[in-house]
Parts: sequence; structure tokens; C-alpha cells
Amino acid sequence: MTKKARWMWGLVGALALAATSPAQTPKPAASQAVPVKVALRRITETQYRHAIADAFGSEIKINARFEPEQRVDRLLAIGSAQLSLTSSGFEQYFALASSVSDQVLSEKQRAVTVPCKPANPTHADDACARRFLTRYGERLFRRPLTESEISARLRTASAGAKQSKDFYAGLKLALTSLLAAPEFLFRVETAEPDPTNREQYRLDAYTKAARISFLLWDSAPDEELLTAARTGAIHTQNELERQLSRMISSPRLEDGVRAFFTDVLQLDGFENLTKDPTIYPKFNQAVADSAKEQTLKTIIDLLVRQKGDYRDLFTSNDTFINRPLASVYQVPFASSSEWAPYTFPQSSERSGILTEVAFLSLFAHPGSSSPTRRGIKMNEIFMCQVTPDPPADVDFSKVQGSDKPTVRARLLDHMTSPGCAGCHRRNDPLGLTLEHFDGLGQLRTMENGTMIDVSGEIDGVKIQGAQGLGQFLHDNPRVPRCLVRNVHSYGVGRKADRQDEEYLVGEAKAFASGGYRFPDLMMQIASSPHFFKVVTSSGAEHPPSTVAAATAPPKRSSNASTGVVP
Amino acid sequence: MRLLFDRRSILRGMLRGTAVAVGIPILDRFLNGSGTVYADGTKLPVRFGTYFWGLGLTDTPSGGTRWVPSKTGFGYEIMPELEALRPVKDKVSVFSGFRAIGDGRPNLVHWSGHASILSGVAPAVTGRFDAPSFDTTIADAIGTSTRFKVIDIDASASRLPVSYSTRTGVTFAMPETTPLALYTRLFGVGFQDPNSDDWKPDPSIILRQSVLSAIRDQRQALMANVGKTDQIKLDQYFTSVREMENQLAIQLEKPEKREACVVPTPPKDTPRSAAVDSVRANTKALAKLLALGLACNQTRVFNFVHTAGISETYVPGESKIYHQITHDEPTDTKLGYQPETSRLAGLVMQAFGDFLVELDAVNEGNGTLLDNCLVMAFSDTGYAKIHSIENIPMFLAGKAGGRHKAGQHIHATGESVSRVSLTAQQLVGAPVGQFGTGSMGTARSIAEVMA
Repeated sequence: MTKKARWMWGLVGALALAATSPAQTPKPAASQAVPVKVALRRITETQYRHAIADAFGSEIKINARFEPEQRVDRLLAIGSAQLSLTSSGFEQYFALASSVSDQVLSEKQRAVTVPCKPANPTHADDACARRFLTRYGERLFRRPLTESEISARLRTASAGAKQSKDFYAGLKLALTSLLAAPEFLFRVETAEPDPTNREQYRLDAYTKAARISFLLWDSAPDEELLTAARTGAIHTQNELERQLSRMISSPRLEDGVRAFFTDVLQLDGFENLTKDPTIYPKFNQAVADSAKEQTLKTIIDLLVRQKGDYRDLFTSNDTFINRPLASVYQVPFASSSEWAPYTFPQSSERSGILTEVAFLSLFAHPGSSSPTRRGIKMNEIFMCQVTPDPPADVDFSKVQGSDKPTVRARLLDHMTSPGCAGCHRRNDPLGLTLEHFDGLGQLRTMENGTMIDVSGEIDGVKIQGAQGLGQFLHDNPRVPRCLVRNVHSYGVGRKADRQDEEYLVGEAKAFASGGYRFPDLMMQIASSPHFFKVVTSSGAEHPPSTVAAATAPPKRSSNASTGVVP
Repeated sequence: MRLLFDRRSILRGMLRGTAVAVGIPILDRFLNGSGTVYADGTKLPVRFGTYFWGLGLTDTPSGGTRWVPSKTGFGYEIMPELEALRPVKDKVSVFSGFRAIGDGRPNLVHWSGHASILSGVAPAVTGRFDAPSFDTTIADAIGTSTRFKVIDIDASASRLPVSYSTRTGVTFAMPETTPLALYTRLFGVGFQDPNSDDWKPDPSIILRQSVLSAIRDQRQALMANVGKTDQIKLDQYFTSVREMENQLAIQLEKPEKREACVVPTPPKDTPRSAAVDSVRANTKALAKLLALGLACNQTRVFNFVHTAGISETYVPGESKIYHQITHDEPTDTKLGYQPETSRLAGLVMQAFGDFLVELDAVNEGNGTLLDNCLVMAFSDTGYAKIHSIENIPMFLAGKAGGRHKAGQHIHATGESVSRVSLTAQQLVGAPVGQFGTGSMGTARSIAEVMA
């Protein structure tokens, strides 16, 4: 390790200790008032795709493998605020940047994408290149480029044009360097001293615009939102709410809602899901892709198009199916369209998204169902209750001798073991109510020749089967409260801490009184000042120039408190 | 807790059955050591790689060991779970008895063991290391003159690609997971056949370099007023940019001839499957390509993951995955171990045997590629049933260009796993005299295996 690296790791350790001190409000010293970068959030694959399509058109093909994301505190959105980029990841982004530039500046496209004609297409033309870079630079970096950033790219464009005797070849290189730059690949969140109160910080206008845009549309701000940032109008509540209303009423809200639920429901797991084909011969990649799409379609239809009650996701029988899924659900598929609306009959025992193939197959093993895994994920995803790792030296002596025919009986053996009981009692009863669905989500009633019992009791409430479970979740106040917490964390890119609690309670009440309408919840949260609070991870009292230096070290599940600058 | 040994006791030699060596003097000797050479006298490079498999090997508290040989030193006997190493036994050293030491930190299941081996410190939380993995130190020392500083590979078909290589402790490498992806990376666009006679520099490379310099020019402005955590992230980003620049610079130079280099044909992509046999086949196919990538001097450092500890590897038709079986299967009181778990461990080790045989199949200089490699193989646990981080199985395979006195069994009950990690770093010439922190901090490499 280099001396510098050792120093940095030492510093990380020191900061870990500092970060455990209670949060305080930083007081900026006016004399040192400079903007500070408070977060660096790597953009996700879908954000990348949306941002490119928005800037250059949906015909640009993006064919690359993206660096894996990492779920931290239940969300990839929180993980993205902690990840960097490895050399193999950069290699991919660099190649992709080049491929996108080639397409954007192809002979066919350049007439549309380049806002000027070079004086001589075989020579460099700084004026035309500047117009192009200024226009697209702002869309890609989500803020205007600095003169230094433009100059660097102009040099690249000019050198490239001279060497290849082609203005557009030079421009491609300059665009490639924007697309591979950290300012595009990471969302750089910046705070500035608040002009209305020099003792405090506020997120700058472009950071606010990006937060809204990535939350609602899963993409970079559009021209109108950038204008609101450029003029500073976004700092006023009126303009903020006007922009939010515009964006929430746009069809593009579906992109944002899809991205949010893909993250929260951990549907990214379908990318690499495997099943044992000798046990589940119907499973293949088409089924995996369809299962994910079915759940997203169900969610979009109920929450966005019908503006329905969020809780009905757990009880509604209305969904959509396609041909691969019809085979798994063992129902006919007569539609000539790829997807068709479908209502699960009462006899199917299904009700709500927990009984769709997505949840049932994702949270199971390759060759069997898993009530424990399903229970853990129900608590984690819908009630924000995380199950700790099992103890390392857990005593399996009871379990190892179990030869009971059903998984319920085997798990009851588990629950008699003191090392296991705590978590299994909380998770297994939930999962056992779904045992009429195997590891792929196919209906069954027997296991090893024995009838499967799907009754359960949770928090003193008796539940019968999947439909009973759906009603239990529908009526459980923890479920909408957890959704509120998830929307906030997803938007701000960090786990809620105790200073957020009062705010979250208020938001949950408003969500309930509004009839649990999801777009209203997004509006509520994105229009609240709390959503834009400047947060550093240590909360120590520092002048603006040093606030950022006090951020916390990387800890996957650190309990370090965070400091909020109101 | 800190183990204290003065220099005198170290130099005296034997400690708990293993000889120790002091880092720096030995390091000097390594740097000047001679490896195998080509017929024309060109010195062959030493390569380094890690090989990881999950769920340990069988060595139960009731004494039913299936992998720890009774004999130490040269000529150890092949135990049942080591059967797959028989063809290359004389090139493999076995390390038993070594443990991860938490210094009060909890044993994070399927994480603390290999995190300790790679970073030298027991991690605070699952999913993170508290220090960089040591393969990055080796890559910085020996990986800068090839097109790729390091190649990461994951054969496991897990839900998420698995890599344990990290510079920040937070962001882990992105591995290649299929033979086609690995082929494309090593031999696709940008590959230059070292044995081709009509090499010409590609002028577009210079243009691509100018793209990177425009990015690098903005480093200072971007790093201003950034918190320390984000600084670490940006540092890694710019390290990645530098590695890309280095890659391009190397492509502008005429590559040295490599007699052992044979350019493979593109493999067919195979369906993803976490079945034991499929993962083994994937391991073998990936190993074959990796071996050619090493022989063609595309990289000198690699990290290979066969299966993760909590992977979903299964035997087709069995409802329980391997991981579940290690926990649920009763210990056979007569045998003293879990027979099915041991059978599966043997299957997993067959993949490691295949891997080494592929490296050994490439003739290089007077020996084989494996003779010029050092592969450090290890798992996340010792006895998986109880998530033990005692007696984690570790191996050093390959002769490291003659520096590794291979073919021995080293047993050192209770010694830190970091000693093996330090030994590996020194064997391949990384400038490291000390590795690990707290009770796993050590300057004592294992002298018996060092030539």
C-alpha cells in the first residue's frame, strides 16, 4: 500500500469514530463561504439509458455491461451514493461513451444533433464545437459547463479534427470525454451558503433539479427544469410545485415509478436468477423477464394510471399476463397482444403482488420454496424490518435430524432452537402462508404426500393462506409507513436517521389522509424542504470549506448519526 | 491483542512449527532472483492470482478430517477432498491450522474469513472490507506492464457477479462471468497478437488518449471541497482512468514475442446454471482462456471466484442447495463427518484441480505456465456447518518462477491467515514487509516455502 493510501485508510478509521458523535448543525463562516460537494452518487444503468435517450434520442443503442450496483440498507439508491468505479467498469463506460458518440455524430444524425455547421468540415471549428459542447454538456453534467471544462474538450476536438482532417471526428472525441467524465457518471450534489441566511447551507439549484428529476423520471433534468435551475426559480416553493406537478402528470412518471419499485422490490435479482431445470422445467429467461414485467405492470396500472390505494397492491386480483407466464399460472392465453389484462380467480388462491411469480420465485431456492427467505423479504421490503445475519455458531443439532415431510414441520424444529428462534418466529409464519406456491410460484397443495397447512398467526392475528396474508399486509400500518421511508431514502440517497423521524411520521399521516395515493406521496416528499436538507454524515460544526471533509467513512450498515443542516 | 515477537526470536526461526522470515531482506533476494527463461534468454514474468471457493473443506470438531494431511513438509499424503490436486501435487503447498482473528469483532458469516485473508483485518460489517485486498498491492507491483493490470473472473453463476478484489473496501471489481465475455475482453477489440509480424501502431489510440487527458485535466477542480469519503471514490475513479491510459500506452508499443501464446477461437456462450457440474465446466472453460491470456501477456494478475460461500450451487434434482446441506446434514457419528457435504466439497475441489491443470497445460520456457504462476486459493470458512473461521483451507499453487518451494504441507494451529497472504505477496515480489492489522498484523512470512 502506498503511503498515501495508508494515510487515507487511517483517516477513514478516525472519521469512523468522529461520525458516532451526535449530529450538530454546522455554522458556515461567511468569510469562507464556498460551495461544497456533499454527495457523489453513481448513476444507475436505467438512469444512464434515460439520460442518453433524453439528450440524444431513443434511437441511440446502448449495448454494454454496467458495473454491478450494491444494495445498502435495503436500497441500491443508498448503495449508489457509496460506490466508485473500478478499472474494468471504467473500461466499459469508456467504450460505451465512444459508441454513443459515434451514433450521435453519425452522418445521418449530425444534422439533427449538431446545432451549427462547421466552416470547413475537414478543419477544426472552435465556435461550432463550443455550441455543441455547451448545449449537450449542460444536459449531461446537469449543470452548465465551466469555461475550463469546455476548453479542455475544445482542445480535444481541435486536435482530433486536425489529425483526422474531420471536424466531426474531433467532436466525437470531445463528446466521448463528456460521457466518460465523472461529472456525468456521478451525480455530484453541491451545497452553497443560503443567501437568505448565511449561517446555513442549501442545495444549489441544479442539485435540487437533479434530485427531483431522478426521483420522478429516473433521468436527468429536462430543458424546462434546467431553466428553473438556471434562473434560480426552483428555490421558490411556487415554481418547485409547478415543476413537480408538470412532471408528475407526465407519462414519464412511469419511468420513475418503475425504477423506484425495481429497487425497493429488489427486482434486479432477476438479471441472474437460476432455477434447477430438473425441478422447474418451465423456468427460463423469458419467464424471469416476464415475471418482473408483470409485477411492474401491476404496480404502474394501480398506482399511476388508476391512482389507486397503495395498500390494494396486496389484495387486488387484477394483473397482466403474457404467454410464458400463462404456462406457469396454468391458464389459457388467447390474446393476440403480447400482454393481456387478467384477473386471478378466487380458486387460484392468489391475491396481490406477493402471489405473483416475481416475488415467489425470486425469494426461493433453485430447487425449492423458502418460507424463511420469503418471510425475511416481506419484513424487509414492505415493513422496513431487517433480519440480522444468523449467528455464526448456531446449533443445528435439532434441525439436522429432522425428517419431517413438510417445510413447516422442519421449520418448527428450527424454532425450538434458541439460537434460531428469534428471527425464525418473526419471518417463518409470514412465509409459510405462501407455501401453496412452490419455488417457481406454481400452485400446489401437497408436499411429499402431505397436505400443506398455510395457516399462521402473526402479531396475534390469525391468517389463512396467501389471501389472508395479503389482507394482513393491506391492513398493517407499518406497510405504508415503510413506503414513505423508502421514497425519502431513495430520493436523498441515504438511510433515514433519528432527525428524520418526526418528518417521516408527518409524511406518513399525510399519505394516509390522502388515501394512500402514490403520486401524491412523491409530490408531498419532493416538495418538502426536508427533502432538500443539506446533510453531512458527521454533523460536526465546520465552516463551509470544511463541512464536506467531515463526511463519514464507508460503512455498509453503520449506525453513525448524521448531521442535518436545516 | 497483539502478538509480540522480537527480532531475535524471529530470526531464530521455528515458531509453532513454522519457520518465519523477515520481509525486507527476503524481498531483496526475490527481486534479484532468477526465474525460468525462454530459450533466447528472455526472463519469463511471474504471475499471481487468487482462487476462491465457498464453504470450506471438511475438518470436524469430532476429528473427521477429510483434507488436512497428517504428514507435514514435502510428500504430504493426498486426502479424500484433495484428490483432484493429485496431478499437480508437487506444485501445490497446503496450509492448515491458520485462522482469522477478529479482535473482538463478530464472525460475520461467509464474510469474515476471506475478508481477513485478503485485507488482513476482520471486517466490521458484511459486504465491506476495512482495508484494500492485497491482490491490488501485487497488481500495482507486477501488473503495470501488461494491457490489463488485473483480470477478475467469476464462474459461480450467482445472482450478482462476485468479486472480492477492492481498493476502497466498498467498491469491488466487476468480474467476467462467461467464457465469451472473458474471450472478448482478452482477445477482442484491442488485442494485439504478440507473435504477429506485421504489427503497426493504431493511430486512433493517440486520439483516445486525448479523450482521457481532457477528463484528467478536470481532476483538481472536481476534488476541491469534496468530503473524504467522496475523495476516496474519486481517487479510485481517476486510478481507473490512469489504468486505461496505461492500457492505451501499452497498445502503442510493439508487444514482445510470446512463444507460448496461442490465440483461441471465440467460445460459444453457454446457458447460465448454478449446478455443480455447470459451474465446474464454466471454471474449466474460463481457466483455459485465462491461461492463454496469461501466456499472451495480456495480464499478470487475476482474481478467480469459483463459488461464493452463500452461492446457490446445487446438485440437479436435489431441493437443497450445497450451502443448506452444509448446515442441515447430520454428522455421521461413525464417520465423524457429513458424508454428502464432503462429497460436494470433493466436487468443488475438482474444479480447482481442473483450473490448475489448465495452467499446467501451457508449456512456457523450460516448464509450464503454472511453474511461473503463484495461485493463492482459499475459502471463506473452515468447517462450514458452524461457520468456523478456524483452520480455513489455504493453498499456494505454482512455483512462482522457482521462488516457491512447492509441494509441502504447512500446519500451524492458531496462526493468523495473514501470514499466508504476506508470504504470497513476497513470493511474487511485491514490496511488502508487513501485512494486516491488530492480531492479524504480521511481518512473519512462512520461510519453509520460500526458495
